Amino acid sequence: MPAVIEFENVTKVYRRRFGGMRVTALSNVSFQAGEGEVCAFLGPNGAGKTTSIGLLMGFHFAHAGNIRVLGCAPGDVRAKARIGFLPENFAFYKYFTAPKLLQFHLALTGERRPESAARIPELIAKVRLQGYENLKIGRYSRGMVQRLGLAQALLGNPQLLILDEPTSGLDPTGRREVLELLAALKAEGKTVFLSSHILPEVEQICDHVVILDRGRMVRAGRLQEMAGVGDRVELIADRVPEGLEQTWRERGVIVEQGADKVRIAADMALKREIAEALWSAGCDVQSINPVRSSLQDIFLKLVEHREEPA
Amino acid sequence: MRIRAIARNTFAAFLRNKLLILFLAIFLCVLLLFLTPLLMMRAAARPSSTAISPLIELVSGLLMMVSGFGSLLAAWAAADTVAGEMKSGTILAVMARPVRRWEFLLGKYLGVQMLMAVYILFMLGFTYLVAWIGGASLQTTPWVLIVYPLCRYAVYSALAMFLVNFMHPIAAFGAVLVTSILAWTLEPGSGFFDFVPAVLRSGLYALLPSTELLSEDRFLTITKASLQKIPWGTHAITIGYGLDYALVFFLLAVWAFRRRPLSRD
Repeated sequence: MPAVIEFENVTKVYRRRFGGMRVTALSNVSFQAGEGEVCAFLGPNGAGKTTSIGLLMGFHFAHAGNIRVLGCAPGDVRAKARIGFLPENFAFYKYFTAPKLLQFHLALTGERRPESAARIPELIAKVRLQGYENLKIGRYSRGMVQRLGLAQALLGNPQLLILDEPTSGLDPTGRREVLELLAALKAEGKTVFLSSHILPEVEQICDHVVILDRGRMVRAGRLQEMAGVGDRVELIADRVPEGLEQTWRERGVIVEQGADKVRIAADMALKREIAEALWSAGCDVQSINPVRSSLQDIFLKLVEHREEPA
Repeated sequence: MRIRAIARNTFAAFLRNKLLILFLAIFLCVLLLFLTPLLMMRAAARPSSTAISPLIELVSGLLMMVSGFGSLLAAWAAADTVAGEMKSGTILAVMARPVRRWEFLLGKYLGVQMLMAVYILFMLGFTYLVAWIGGASLQTTPWVLIVYPLCRYAVYSALAMFLVNFMHPIAAFGAVLVTSILAWTLEPGSGFFDFVPAVLRSGLYALLPSTELLSEDRFLTITKASLQKIPWGTHAITIGYGLDYALVFFLLAVWAFRRRPLSRD
């Protein structure tokens, strides 16, 4: 799979003017995002996500390392012509209406074909802003602005979408719609690179994950591979033999009594011991499944366990 | 197409800028105060030949005011339009499009020139109106009153656009103001900086864009309100001089903007 985004040992240092403090926003970050993938860019606040996206778009300049976007240097108009971008907290010209803003952005793409302009009402409908065409954007709610931002990112049928917090400011319905939209774009073969804090939602659609913390990359890889690293197991049985439940609990096993079944969650190392104890006691073991770590589990584990840099 | 879209949007943003509207409204009120003496002249049954003289002085003062305010407006508009885009973050969505940095800056610059062109035409119309109300007709060639100020505003706006890459827009505006005052006071024979060695004075005067040289006033015989007969070559050299400054400052602005980090300030 050809790489659409390539970061190679990228370092970015912010320097205050007049010889002030130096802040390392990114340190030696390397990762790739492949074509047709949804790549989630995760990290706590101040991890360097927006800085990385800024570098990718050519808004900032790296001090060291190499960045390629769609085979071009960041900021290259050939690459930008194929990118749809939604900045964090999308800012807009308040005096425009939604169709006018999209027409303005269409003019910036240099697109003159009438069918491109004809797509504007379609895009407005896609982000559920129909009926608000004559309302000035300054009167839009936060969620409406975010949806309009998505519409402008989709303008010109981009090959790569770079979205900085796309579900920010949206209500649960809006968030679900955005996720559905992203899933549809993925199905169309588009590459999506998004940063987000809402991990359970991102997990539903992403293929590839890059996790940053304090400017350093702590993990990058395919979500399936990361989630498969889980070290716990879940057993479902009809009952638990008397006396064993307390012993297991003392060893960190979670036993949850249901109406007609018992759920036992334990470390992978105890799998065989528990299963044999259940079978020996004549219990019916209905299933034994490894528990996949959720993206949130992986994220918290990686970010919380990192030591302070020296 | 991209540059045109940015220029038109910049101009549209100016027309909605509350601060700009307020400034223009105050300025217009001051200009309207001129109407009182004019109406007094009008009230006189037969304007004598001596009555024309104060009118001409009034028109001359008006032209100077329009001209000076225009320079300030050009510098402020240029500094604010770039800084405003950075501050609000609207620049991010624009620069994510296949727009080169110099195209963005040129679009912004042309938007400022559109504003200044409208300003000049409006103020020129107003000047003619004032003269007409006073019962006199200005025997001038209007193109001088349009091209020379526009040329001067092009210099100041390009300078402000360059400076705003390094400093706060208010500081950039102030720096342009100081530059223009300095250029004016350094004119030979002005008598302001006589204590400064002549070599330094002349050097600085040559370096800075000359307000006097680019002033349309020097082509007007104000006592008669008619255009002096100046050879076309002189006009071409003077306008070329102004446009050269504007081009140099604009290229410096493009150079400074080329590597400027784009983010919300």
